[in-house]
Amino acid sequence: MKSTDIPPTHILIIDDDESILDAVSLLLSDFGYLVDTISHGEEAVMKVPQLLPNIILLDVLMSGVDGRDICKSLKQDEKTKHIPIIMLSAHPGVSKNMSEYGADGFLSKPFEIDDLLKTIEKFVQKD
Amino acid sequence: MKRLGKYLNPVSRLGKQQYSILFSLLYSLGLCMLSEFYAYQIVHDPMAVGMYIIFVHVGTILYFSFRDGIRGGVVSSVIAILYYFYIIDTRNYSGQQLTTGVETTITLAFLYLLLAGIIGWLKQKIDKLIIREADEKRRLQAIIHQLPVGIIITDSKGKIVETNRQLESILGIKMPIGIIAGKDSPVSALYNGQKAEPSQSPLAQALLTGKKVVDREFIIEKPNKKKTYIVANASLIHNTEGKVIAAASIIKDVTLQREMEERKDDFINMASHELKTPVTSMKVYLAMLERIAAKLGDPKFEHIVTSLHSQTVRLQELVNNLLDVSRAHTGKLSFKMEPFRLDTMIQETIEELQRETQKISIQVQKSKPVTVIADKLRIYQVLTNLLTNAIKYSSEKSVVDVSVKTDMINVTVRVQDSGIGISKDQQKKIFDRLYQVTDGRENTFPGLGMGLYISKEIVKKHKGKIWVESTKGKGSTFYFTLPLHKNLKK
Repeated sequence: MKSTDIPPTHILIIDDDESILDAVSLLLSDFGYLVDTISHGEEAVMKVPQLLPNIILLDVLMSGVDGRDICKSLKQDEKTKHIPIIMLSAHPGVSKNMSEYGADGFLSKPFEIDDLLKTIEKFVQKD
Repeated sequence: MKRLGKYLNPVSRLGKQQYSILFSLLYSLGLCMLSEFYAYQIVHDPMAVGMYIIFVHVGTILYFSFRDGIRGGVVSSVIAILYYFYIIDTRNYSGQQLTTGVETTITLAFLYLLLAGIIGWLKQKIDKLIIREADEKRRLQAIIHQLPVGIIITDSKGKIVETNRQLESILGIKMPIGIIAGKDSPVSALYNGQKAEPSQSPLAQALLTGKKVVDREFIIEKPNKKKTYIVANASLIHNTEGKVIAAASIIKDVTLQREMEERKDDFINMASHELKTPVTSMKVYLAMLERIAAKLGDPKFEHIVTSLHSQTVRLQELVNNLLDVSRAHTGKLSFKMEPFRLDTMIQETIEELQRETQKISIQVQKSKPVTVIADKLRIYQVLTNLLTNAIKYSSEKSVVDVSVKTDMINVTVRVQDSGIGISKDQQKKIFDRLYQVTDGRENTFPGLGMGLYISKEIVKKHKGKIWVESTKGKGSTFYFTLPLHKNLKK
């Protein structure tokens, strides 16, 4: 748990599956994080520069848009390129070339809760 | 001119059963008239030409009996004999001359008919044989052309002598007659993912090695760029003395099958990915429920949440297995090789499984430290699969025995149970995809029959072997080997 004088870590979850958004945001806010969600991948590139979260959890295969493309454009944007991006996917095969798109981490679905928390924690400390 | 030559040539009439009596009749009559003309108008000595006439007639009879069978021979013989009697009559033979002439003619008539009979009969026999062979060939061709598979037949040197229509539609091009299988090929094909050389054609291989070639799979690209999967077989054809006289290849189009399999694998792949998303959120919700349960401290509630958790883990494992099956089948199982202590891993796995079951006691025989280079998680998967099978198919309170043995090259892991056992014919199939062992009353046990297939594929990828020894009703012993790496040995 965070102490009150430090602002809580802001995490943005981008996934087209509502249940994932709901479950993960419930869990993370329970652990004291400030959580925002985006269910339409297309909006991400526009919204992220406004929200400026500390960490982004980004699904790879969403309907209509590829998370890898979002990751790439966020990493090219001066305003957002410092934000660590953790990619999530049910296709573990896509994990191989994640760094090509500038992703900082990868978790394959279904992930262990501990792994999710540890991965986030890693970037919080870096931050 | 050519047609006349063909009409007159007796050899070109072999195998023809419609004989014309008219030609032999007219020809023989014409010959007699020519002889008379020659005797009276050119030589002016009818007695002198007698001997020549006999020779000419013998030739004519031979010709017609060979050309037109018995009928042709007999017709020209009868004309010749009648002509001889005509000569005896018109040359005014007297006394002794007449008797000798008639006797000679009768002898000649007998000899002529004998000649015509024998030669004509032989010719008719040959005709029948030729027709029978031609019929046989036509029958075979009709069958070959109607077969749903492509056929190539070569001679003993590999020269293509026959193909069928189906081959053309499978390959999308006409295989030219006369080319040599193994030297030229109009088809561009892939074999084991690489461009196939003409010498890799099943026919060339069969002719080279003298052995049958069974179910070799190629991918060919048709001229219309359509990918076609074919399975080819080839075998040699021997004559009665065992000498190779021909080779035949059968080509099956398995594109539809392969596409169906691909579609099925795609479906399994998609379905299991779709299943993973709800499993992910379920796990997250459950994690929170567990936190709430811990705070509440209600044992009943905690029990329910724990059970929910273990069932979710089970669901997740099933989904992973489904994915592994489809990946193994398409050769896409991924591996992360690293050195680890196999004996320690086995010990830990057994302890973990023993915690979950009271039904069976798992014993492990002490072994020397063994380090292998392998995918630890995958080997763990193989081991837990063999152990959970051993537990699943064993009766209460029995013992499952595990041992590890090393030799110079391999490490062998043995998992022995005293369960229901596997019959001989089932032993061959248990490592197949989605096969399940049944007990004596043919009841299957719960599960999808994926585990051993995945285990086999994993062990195979590690260049090891997996097998079973079992007696029905007396238990099974599963073995798998992993190669030892030289630089890791003590």
